[in-house]
Amino acid sequence: MNPAGRSGPAIELVGVSKWYGTFQALKGIDLAVAEGERVVVCGPSGSGKSTMIRCINQLERHQKGDIRIHGQALCGEPKRDAPILRETGMVFQSFNLFPHMTVLENCTFALTWVRQMPQVEAERIAMAHLERVRIPEQAAKYPLQLSGGQQQRVAIARALCMAPRIMLFDEPTSALDPEMIKEVLETMVELASTGMTMVVVTHEMGFARTVADRVVFMDQGEIVEQAAPADFFSAPRYDRTRMFLSQIL
Amino acid sequence: MSDATRPEPLVFAPKPADPPPPSSIGAVGWMRANLFSSVPNALLTFLGAWILYVTVAAVLDWALVKAVWEAENRRQCLDMVGRAGACWPGVAAWIPNLIYGLYPKDQAWRIDLGAVLLVAWALPLWLPRVRSKVAIGLCLVLLFPLLASYLFMGGAKGVVWTAAIALGLAAFLWCWLTALAEMRRGISFGALMARLLGARDDARAARIGQASLLALYLVALALVLPLELVEVPTRLWGGLFLTLVISGIGITFSLPAGVLLALGRRSEMPLIRVFCVTFIELFRSVPLITILFMFNTMLPLFLPAGVEVNRLLRAIVAVCLFASAYMAEIVRGGLQAIPKGQYEAAAAMGLGFWQSTGFIILPQALRIMIPSIVGNFIGLFKDTTLVSIIGLFDLLSMSRAVGEDTRWLGLFIEPFFFITMIYFVFCFLMSQYSINLERRLGAGQRR
Repeated sequence: MNPAGRSGPAIELVGVSKWYGTFQALKGIDLAVAEGERVVVCGPSGSGKSTMIRCINQLERHQKGDIRIHGQALCGEPKRDAPILRETGMVFQSFNLFPHMTVLENCTFALTWVRQMPQVEAERIAMAHLERVRIPEQAAKYPLQLSGGQQQRVAIARALCMAPRIMLFDEPTSALDPEMIKEVLETMVELASTGMTMVVVTHEMGFARTVADRVVFMDQGEIVEQAAPADFFSAPRYDRTRMFLSQIL
Repeated sequence: MSDATRPEPLVFAPKPADPPPPSSIGAVGWMRANLFSSVPNALLTFLGAWILYVTVAAVLDWALVKAVWEAENRRQCLDMVGRAGACWPGVAAWIPNLIYGLYPKDQAWRIDLGAVLLVAWALPLWLPRVRSKVAIGLCLVLLFPLLASYLFMGGAKGVVWTAAIALGLAAFLWCWLTALAEMRRGISFGALMARLLGARDDARAARIGQASLLALYLVALALVLPLELVEVPTRLWGGLFLTLVISGIGITFSLPAGVLLALGRRSEMPLIRVFCVTFIELFRSVPLITILFMFNTMLPLFLPAGVEVNRLLRAIVAVCLFASAYMAEIVRGGLQAIPKGQYEAAAAMGLGFWQSTGFIILPQALRIMIPSIVGNFIGLFKDTTLVSIIGLFDLLSMSRAVGEDTRWLGLFIEPFFFITMIYFVFCFLMSQYSINLERRLGAGQRR
């Protein structure tokens, strides 16, 4: 079903379940994402798509099942999982930049404190990534002085600085004005063209159509169906998917 | 109409901005908007102005115009102006006592020196181009007490005590030498020494840096060894000096302790959480007076016979614990105001608990907490007056003693007025500094 690469999948979820109290948010999710594959996850709100992506980098702990990143299983112990999770970078719906640091400091902070990198080298890497998202001239500003689209691009640059092999996007354009969605999507398209493994939770069906290798549709904590975008949009197999698409398109 | 004859699109040209009407800006506009916007508002303005005029005029009349400035005793004052004017000579004669308490007056220079040292030590924190501000600040908070406590207490000093005092002095010297080196050359004291002595490689420079620190300590030790100060027991401490000692230690202790308690209360480890919750709730639900009494009278009962804990120390410990519990709840409130996304972003970038707490969460939380933290500091500063009930002579008790002096019998209002001014100046400075700090730290956080 998946175009898995030679070295096994980049992300593998096997029977992952998650409960909030007695409410089951994820009901035994099975999903494999190959190296370099671009997966778009969509579904109505409350379908568990954000919970799933947050389980992948352990912002939420799953209670059942296994998650493997590049073949290494996560055990739920933060110290032991940390080196495995370094392979992942995350971009949030609400940017979550650190408001008390400049754009440049946002990007260099983890490099100097987690990777123990000298300041000069960290700044060089950060500037390279800021140039890649086309806002190097904003490096000395504070996040709240930027527009939403610029902030989200800084957040992408900040995640890229840690040189992840997998990028997770949790509704990256949902908090943006229509005029700014385009600039963030362009950055993501550019990123996709470099062969980065990407899992994107989004309602941007245009992005899914043009960039995704596979679209995953979730509802009520389950994966309802998954298919290549051409098939997914032209011939959805389930009535639930059809209903969702009719509402969103 | 066909497509070929479609009209040209209209060009949208935004209007230029007009200046505001003159009556709405400047002093006239402000007065119209704030003081005389309606008839009742104008009446209230006049009423307020009248009340202000009457009170201020009465106070000025009493304190300055009709006041007596030179007299031998209170009798003379009363003969001259009666009760219509203030009798300042009594306060003036007692100023040394109000400031130093019963501290021997020939030794009072030690307190002055301590105050000068404190200011001099803190000064580099405000100088431009000084980069080691964190190190200097930590030195100040941790090592100034070593130096100051001997300066204030004096007496025989053992080997450990001597070493500790020398450490304090060496730290002071290091802070200033580093500040000067960084202002002049932009490098730290150790690096400057290495450069002056011509270090060829990094390892060598590091060794010279360490050696120069050791040399500094030896110089401090040589300065401290012959130093011999008369012992001044803490029961003689008093006045503004005592108030500042208690509140100063309380303030410097309560902030870090409060941060730790607040983090402990949010901890996922049950033992730590239960301990912190118990401590905070216990000390917050008991009045400070009760805690002071407990520490003063009951603590000795629990201690083994012969173990004597200084009365001042007991009061300081009580104040510190009380203030920490209050600070913990303020910090907890600040921590809760930080959006969850900040923790998540830090975690997603691989930052550990202490890194994300220390560099991401606390700096933001402390900034929004500044008004309540400083409010708590001000409250603590004023609460130290309560130590008078366990027999310590703080500023308030000293000012009460003026009217019990046979020469100035019954002179109460003037000394109270005087210390009111002192308290006001200190509290107002704290509050102004906090506003200033907020403004500076707020840079970049507003659009």
